[in-house]
Amino acid sequence: MVFDVFFLQQVINGLSIGCVYALMAIGFTLIFGVLNVVNFAHGEVYTIGAFVGLMVITALAPPLLAVVPLVLAVGAVSGVGLERIAFRPFRRFTDEASQKSRAMREATLLSSLAVSIVTREIMMHIFGGDMQGIPSGYLLQQPVAIGPIMVASGSLVIFATSAVMLGALQFLLYRTQTGLGIRAVSNNQLGARYVGINTDRTIVTTFAVGSMLGATAGILVGLYDGAISPHMGFAPGVKAFVAMVMGGLSSIPGAVACALLLGVSESIATEFLSSGWKDLITYSLLVITLVFFPQGLFGHGRERA
Amino acid sequence: MRKNAILGAVLGAMLATTAVQAADREIVIGYQAPLSGDRSQYGEMFRNAAQIKLEEFNASGKLAGAKVAITFEDSKDDPKEARNIAHKFLDNSKIVGVIGDFSSTVSMAAGEIYAAEKMPQLSQTASHPDFTKLSPWQFRNITTQAFEGPYNADWIIAAGKKTAAVIYIQNDWGISALDGFVSGFKAKGGKITATEAFNPGNRDFRSILTKVARQKPDVIYLAMFYEEGAAFAQQREQLGIKIPLYGTSSLYSPKLIELGRESVEGLHLATTFTPDNPDPAVQTFVKEYAARFKSEPGMFAAQAYDAVGIMLDAVAKAGPSVTRESLRDALAATTGYPGVTGATSFDPVTREPAKALAKMMVKDGRFQVVTGP
Amino acid sequence: MDVNVPDARLMPATLAPPAAFSGRGRRFAWTLLLLAVAFGAVPAAIVGTGSSYLAQIAITTMIFVILSASLNHVTGTAGLLSIGHAAFYGIGAYAAALLSTKLGLPFIVTLPAAGLIAALFGFLVALPTMRLVSIYFAVATLGIGEMIYVILLNWVDFTRGPMGIRGIPPIELFGWQADTLLSRYLAVAVIAVACVWVLHRLTHSYYGNALRALREDDQCADSMGINVERLKIESFVVATFFAGIAGALLAHTSAYIAPDNFRFMESILILAMVVVGGLGSLPGAVVGALFMIVLPEALRDIGDYRMIAVGATMFLSILLLPKGMLAEGTALGFVRRSFSRGWATIAGGTPVGWK
Repeated sequence: MVFDVFFLQQVINGLSIGCVYALMAIGFTLIFGVLNVVNFAHGEVYTIGAFVGLMVITALAPPLLAVVPLVLAVGAVSGVGLERIAFRPFRRFTDEASQKSRAMREATLLSSLAVSIVTREIMMHIFGGDMQGIPSGYLLQQPVAIGPIMVASGSLVIFATSAVMLGALQFLLYRTQTGLGIRAVSNNQLGARYVGINTDRTIVTTFAVGSMLGATAGILVGLYDGAISPHMGFAPGVKAFVAMVMGGLSSIPGAVACALLLGVSESIATEFLSSGWKDLITYSLLVITLVFFPQGLFGHGRERA
Repeated sequence: MRKNAILGAVLGAMLATTAVQAADREIVIGYQAPLSGDRSQYGEMFRNAAQIKLEEFNASGKLAGAKVAITFEDSKDDPKEARNIAHKFLDNSKIVGVIGDFSSTVSMAAGEIYAAEKMPQLSQTASHPDFTKLSPWQFRNITTQAFEGPYNADWIIAAGKKTAAVIYIQNDWGISALDGFVSGFKAKGGKITATEAFNPGNRDFRSILTKVARQKPDVIYLAMFYEEGAAFAQQREQLGIKIPLYGTSSLYSPKLIELGRESVEGLHLATTFTPDNPDPAVQTFVKEYAARFKSEPGMFAAQAYDAVGIMLDAVAKAGPSVTRESLRDALAATTGYPGVTGATSFDPVTREPAKALAKMMVKDGRFQVVTGP
Repeated sequence: MDVNVPDARLMPATLAPPAAFSGRGRRFAWTLLLLAVAFGAVPAAIVGTGSSYLAQIAITTMIFVILSASLNHVTGTAGLLSIGHAAFYGIGAYAAALLSTKLGLPFIVTLPAAGLIAALFGFLVALPTMRLVSIYFAVATLGIGEMIYVILLNWVDFTRGPMGIRGIPPIELFGWQADTLLSRYLAVAVIAVACVWVLHRLTHSYYGNALRALREDDQCADSMGINVERLKIESFVVATFFAGIAGALLAHTSAYIAPDNFRFMESILILAMVVVGGLGSLPGAVVGALFMIVLPEALRDIGDYRMIAVGATMFLSILLLPKGMLAEGTALGFVRRSFSRGWATIAGGTPVGWK
């Protein structure tokens, strides 16, 4: 093994995969944080973002920057809808026994799974199961040479977007009243209600913001990947989930760091082993991390499960 | 696209019923394929092509005194569901033969049952070397990679390329494609610089490309489907790697060019089906498919079209009183079936098909037949 | 707390045990009824209709009953959310397949061996991960499940990778071979009933109460003298053992297995069975398995919209019955009255304990 330019290229390849995971992990972690429930349908919001983006592009051919606000709006709407259908009905039980009940929590988890199955199948009926190509003017695939290293323009866009999203979210969470509310609800929902926070509205806001980020991630990754399909959300969704937990659940920068770590480890693993084995390395890394850091790399405090 | 398919199915069924109203016997062929889940695009193509062939057959009057129908069942690409479907088909005494499934794992899960319960099964795509060894009841009309691999190896060697890296999908088909190509390439004095497997569902090939490019092979040989192939070609371009690409016939689909665009220019592959083929059978199929489903048929649609054709031909040969046994014998006796993927004959011992391959490459944004090396 | 068994006096009349028909007779009646369904009604329906389709679905259901009941033991009763259960199912299936095709061992050996090998892996997995709580544990099981899938898929020399293993002999016991579908069903049903019975005895006991205690609050349970770590490991090992048994049954009834049988979505399917049926409720797990296997088959006739209907039905079921079709509290009361060997009665007729 030589640490030559090819190796450096592998690290860059890894970072670009990691950025894709990170982009998805940001919204995912935000939503998880507020309800402490895994949102299985986040991958579908991501897919919806990609398809709506493509529909707009093929119908109107607007400049790329004009697509983004539209996708953001669609993301927000689908986030609110998702919360209304799959999550709110389970908050109708307000007694303490139900709130502590594990059956209730797992039911919420599976309700989002069921919603995601239905959404995915409906999208397949509308768009077909085949991959859809992106009009070439919008592809983010131009090779960019940085010295001897090659990067696709999409990787740079995704990297920049992740950074902007992360910054904006940190600002929202730590510098605004809304963010304070989100943090309060995520810390203790009952307590937040007692001090007069409208928890329902806060949760809806979080879903809207998280899904906006998810939908944007979908269209950007679609433009970068060159093809979108109704199943595109599943694989990065699992990796985003893993990154979130490795990062310690509550920490969005932690999730981003872990997403990058996962991407780099995948690509370095391919360098040494056959690429079929790369997931073994990724998941070993996850398990080892959890064994030594039971609260994730950036988590803190014992959660009373 | 789906709406069209449903409309086509309904129309087809109506046409079929009116055309042979006097028919006294209904013969049914079972077709199992993934129609939902993440492989549904393939099942959809199979169903589209099958519908066209079925209508052609029922209108042709090759089988007097009976009409044939096809029952589709969705296997979701899940072995568990395939086993249930197998029994559902077996219970239906009208069903005399089965086509499908898509992937080898699922085809074989159902195949074990068909083998034990004596139902002829013809798969349009199962390429697992053991599939036809399950029992004398299994057939396939796809050429195996033991034939295609050495053919491509000869082609590459003849073009003066001596070293190759092989990228293959980690499934039974990918492994047989790897074996077929590597043994053929080495036998001709070529050198394999690397073989890299990737797991199904993988969409990022940058790491593999970077790794493979280090050894600077003369060609990269792709054993994968068109969706992965397009992504691979695009990422190769982004990384500025110029090594030429050769591939298996599974890459042959108009979708490859639609998704891959300029990046797939210069890709070489050998295929049994070419829509440019002047053969009237091919032209009829291509026109009919394009008219109904607004797209050009690819390798998978052609395979399904021929599978249905072979099956129906055998039904016609066995006559209106066809049984599962007589259908099996008629299938085994298939020689020189004139399909759109070339003439198909089943080897009397191995029941493997033999077909002719045509060399093609992507040039100016479309597949063109290559003459010479 | 939803686990509290409702007092018999507070229950609606329909649920309360009728005075005249209680105790021994009642227990006997329920056991007889369930056995009659599994070994009487279902075989009779298979023979009566001559439908091999029905038989195949019955076999699949029985295998998934074991999987869902075993996952319920660790996730429902002990509260450790596991989303990698299919991997242990896979280990059991591959163990049985390799032992019988490579070493020629008979079913009587491969069945327990598959369970034990899966349990051994379960134990090795449990040792380092039992410190983890809630979602951290869930993700660790997801990771381990994926690792096992990758190994099954890529270790071609040993598992034959994606080629799968074929030619696995059918179930055979002392010369009697389950070669017809009916006999195959009966063999699987006997084993499934035995597995559920063992899980029933484990769950519906003071031991089961200890598991429920650590689910509700492991720190409290710890402070009351329950060896939390040990119990967690035990419950995980038990669950993986039964998953291995289910895998062996799959291998011997289907003759061909490949890694695609044990994908991540299979783990999720098993979890869905447990949650739809009722997390923590053993009868619920059985009902959930039945529901999730039969539903997609029953909806076959609606064609292309089948999976939408499956998803929608699943959603409605969770929405309307978030604690499951047979919620834990009700289920525990039912099991106590109908299957447990009576209980001590303190003054005033309040039943306590399991016995």
